[in-house]
Amino acid sequence: MSGERARRIEGALKVTGRAEYAGEVRPDGMLHAALVQAEITCGDVVGIDDSAARHTPGFVDQVSYDDARSLAPSTATALIREPVVHFPGQPVGLTAADTLLAARTAAARVRVDYVERPSVAAIDQALDEAYAPAMAGRIIGASHRGDPAVALTGAHLVVRNRYQTAVNNHHPMEPHVVVCWWEGEQVVVHTSTQAVYGTRAIIAHALAMPADDVRVVCRYLGGGFGCKGQLWWPWMLWTLTASKRTGRPIRLELTRAQMFTLVGRRQETVQDLAVGFDATGRLVAIEHDVLAQTSTHGEYCDTTAEVSRRLYACPNVRTLHRLVRTNEPQPIPMRAPGTAPGTFALESALDEAAEQLGIDPVELRVRNFADHDHDADVPWSSNSLLQCYQVAADRFGWAQRPASATVVDGRWRIGWGMATTCYPAHRQPCRVRVRLQPDGTIVVQCGTQDMGSGTYTVLAQMVADALGVPLSQVTVELGDTLLPEGPFSGGSQVTASMFPAARQATDALRAQLAELGMGHDETLADAVQRIAPDGIEAEGAATANADIDVRCMSFGAIFTEVGVDADLAEIRVRRVTAAFATGRVLNPLLTESQHIGGLIGGIGMTLLEQTVTDRSSGRIIGDNLADYLVPVHADMPEFDIALIDEDDTYLPGGVKGVGMLGTAGIQAAIANAIHHATGTRVRHLPIRIEDLLHELPATTPGALPSMSE
Amino acid sequence: MPIERIAVGLTVNGCAVEQWIDPCAMLLDVLHELGLSGTKKGCEMGACGACTALADGRRIVSCLALAASYAGAAITTIEGVGTPDELHPLQEAFIDHDALQCGYCTPGQIMSALGLIAEGCCDRATIREGLSGNLCRCGAYPRIVAAVAEAAGL
Repeated sequence: MSGERARRIEGALKVTGRAEYAGEVRPDGMLHAALVQAEITCGDVVGIDDSAARHTPGFVDQVSYDDARSLAPSTATALIREPVVHFPGQPVGLTAADTLLAARTAAARVRVDYVERPSVAAIDQALDEAYAPAMAGRIIGASHRGDPAVALTGAHLVVRNRYQTAVNNHHPMEPHVVVCWWEGEQVVVHTSTQAVYGTRAIIAHALAMPADDVRVVCRYLGGGFGCKGQLWWPWMLWTLTASKRTGRPIRLELTRAQMFTLVGRRQETVQDLAVGFDATGRLVAIEHDVLAQTSTHGEYCDTTAEVSRRLYACPNVRTLHRLVRTNEPQPIPMRAPGTAPGTFALESALDEAAEQLGIDPVELRVRNFADHDHDADVPWSSNSLLQCYQVAADRFGWAQRPASATVVDGRWRIGWGMATTCYPAHRQPCRVRVRLQPDGTIVVQCGTQDMGSGTYTVLAQMVADALGVPLSQVTVELGDTLLPEGPFSGGSQVTASMFPAARQATDALRAQLAELGMGHDETLADAVQRIAPDGIEAEGAATANADIDVRCMSFGAIFTEVGVDADLAEIRVRRVTAAFATGRVLNPLLTESQHIGGLIGGIGMTLLEQTVTDRSSGRIIGDNLADYLVPVHADMPEFDIALIDEDDTYLPGGVKGVGMLGTAGIQAAIANAIHHATGTRVRHLPIRIEDLLHELPATTPGALPSMSE
Repeated sequence: MPIERIAVGLTVNGCAVEQWIDPCAMLLDVLHELGLSGTKKGCEMGACGACTALADGRRIVSCLALAASYAGAAITTIEGVGTPDELHPLQEAFIDHDALQCGYCTPGQIMSALGLIAEGCCDRATIREGLSGNLCRCGAYPRIVAAVAEAAGL
C-alpha cells in the first residue's frame, strides 16, 4: 500500500543553490528596510524624531504609526497602528534606504520618546491575574468527565507532580523576509510564509484592496515550524506601506535576534498533573492543570492538556488551561504544539507510575489503551498504537531492558525509556488544477507552499499515480496566489488536504478525455495530440474535515537509549527507535525524513533549547544561535524508524499528517531514560548537566600542586 | 552624500570580477550583489554555517568575511559546484539520501562537506564533528552524514 521512495523532485534545484527563496528576488531600484525597536518594556510612544536618521547617506523614507493609521483595524495591524509598546524590542518604525547598512544606521538614529508603564516580565509576577481562556488552540479550554476528585481519593496509586517546559523559538534557517513592489494599484509580495493565500487575505483587508490586486509568492520556503505566519504580518505591512509611498521595491529581512521576539515562540508551561491508578494499573483519574504565558496584545494557548483527555482510557478526567499576560513576545504554535509539552508531563507521570506499580512501562500503556476516543465518546478512524508499541519495542530490544541504573559503558551510565506520541489528523479546503500539456506532460498547480516537508514531491506522486504516468512527466507549481487556493502549511495537514482535491482533478481530467473520445488503450500523450491539441485541464476541490462522529489521529511509540557521563553528567541520546502510524504512507523516504527531523526537534526541546528572559526588563538574553542551543550534527544518535501502514477507510485516500509526531513523546522518552540511567527524575525541560550534577560520585579532593613546582 | 565605494577584484567560481563595494561589505552580501543567491544568510554572526563558501579551498563563513580582504582569493560558491543537469557526486548523494528538506541550509552543508572532505575525514564521527558548524532546523543531519560518507568513499 505504501507509495514509492521517490527522490525529492526539487532536490536538484536545492542542492545547486538554484531554488529561488522569497528574499532572493532583486527588482531594479530596490530599497532595503530596517526596523526601529522599542527600548522600553511597556508603555506608550509619544514622539518619534527621525531628523537625524534623515541625514544618513542613502536614507529614503521612514514609516511609523501615523503612516499605518489608514490601514483597516485588525490583529494584523494593531501593533503598527497603535503606538503602544507591549514588549521590549517591539518595532516602533521602519526605515528604508539604498543599502541595508544605511537602513540600519538610519534606524539606530531614530529617536523615540516614551511614557513608561509598570510591566510584568514573567508569569510568576502576575499569578493572581491568571485566567482561563475559552479556547486552547482549536479545542475548548476546559474539560470535565466523571468525578476525578473522588476517583483520586480512592485510587490505589496517585502520582501527583509539577512539570515545566521552557520557552522555545522556532528558528527556521531562512529568516523572515519580504520583497514587495507596486504596479499601479496592484502589489506583488514575495515573502517567506506558511500561507500565501492567508497573507493575501490579510494584505487585501488591511489595505482595503480587491484580493485579486494582491499577488503573494513563496515558491521555496526555508522552514517555518509555525513561525512564518500571522505575527510577521504587521512588519510586512509596514514594508508595503513604505513601498507604496516611495514608489520603489523594498526588502525587509529580519535579523536572527529579531526572530526571538517578532515571530512567535513556543509558550512556557507549568503543568500540575495528577494520575490515579487501580491496583491492576488501570487509570482511574487524571487531573491536568496547565499555566502558560501569553502576551498583553494577543491570546494564544497550546492544547497542552488535550493528550490527557483522549490518549488513554480513563473514566474520570478534568483538564484546565490558564494563561498569564506578560510583557513578553506573543506565543504561537511551534512544531507539535500542545502535544510536545503535554506528553512530556503525561508520559513522564506514566513512567513514574509504572515504576511504583512494578509494571513494565509498555505494558502499563497497553493496559490503558483507548479503544475509542473517551473524551468525545466516538470511535477512532484508525488507531494502530498497540502495533506501534510492539514493533518499536521489538526493534529496540526492549524485552532485554535491565534494572534501573545498572548498565555502564565505559564512563557512560546507560538508560532506556519510552513514551507515546500522537497528533490530530486535520484537513483544510484545497483546490488543485491538473493540466495535460500538448506534449503529454502534466503540470499540477496548487496555491499551498512547500515548507520542506515534501509537498512538491508527494503532489507529483499523487497525480502521476492517478494518471498512470512516470513521475518525471509531472511538473508541480506551488507558492503563488495566481494558482488555485491551497491550505496553509501547518498542523500536519497539507498532504491530507491535497489528496482528495488532486484525486478529484485527475478524475475530472480523465472524464473529460473520455467524453472527447480517448481510447481505452491510448496513452495520455497520444490522446491529447489527437483530441485536445491545445492541452486540457481540470480542477478538483476538497473541503475541510468536519469529523463529528469519528476521531482522526496519528499515533506513535518512541524508545530511546541515553548515556549520562558518570563524571561530567553530560547527557547524550545514543539511539532512538520509533514506530509511527500515519495512515497511508505516500513516500516512505520523505516520511522517514520528516519523522527523523521531528525527533531531532524534540531532542532540542528536551536537552538544549531555552529562550531566557531577563526577569526585570523582559528582554531576551542571548538572542543568537550561539547562546540559544539547537541540535547539531555531533548531537545525533542512531535512528531506526518503522512506518506502520494503516488502511484508514474513513479518511480520503487514508492520509494522515506526519510532521508533528516525532516532536512529541520524545521528551518523556528521554527523561524516562535519564531516570533509568541515573535514578534521577527531572520534571522540567530542558534537562541539562546541572540537573544531574548532584548525581556525580563524590571525589576525593586532591592536593593542589605547589606553586613552586 | 554618496556612499563611498572601493573597487575589489575577486575570482568567483573561476570568473574574475571587479566589483565596486562598500568597504565594510561582507563577502556574503557581495555575492548576493553579484546575483549569486545560492549562498544563504542565516544569522550574520558565523553561528549557523548557511553562508559557507570556500576561499582558496578553505571553508569560511562568508557573513563574517570582509569582502575587501578577499581580493585576489579564489572563491567557490555552490553555483560553482554543479548544475541541475550536471550534479557533483556529493549533490547527487544529497538527493539520493534525502539529505535536505527545506533546502535553505543545504548549500552551506555541501560547501562545508566539500571543504571537510578535502581536509580529510576518516569516519562518520569525524564528519559529524566537522560539520557541526552547519545547523539544520528541519533535522536532516543523519541523512547529510550518510550522503557525505558516501561521497567521501567511506
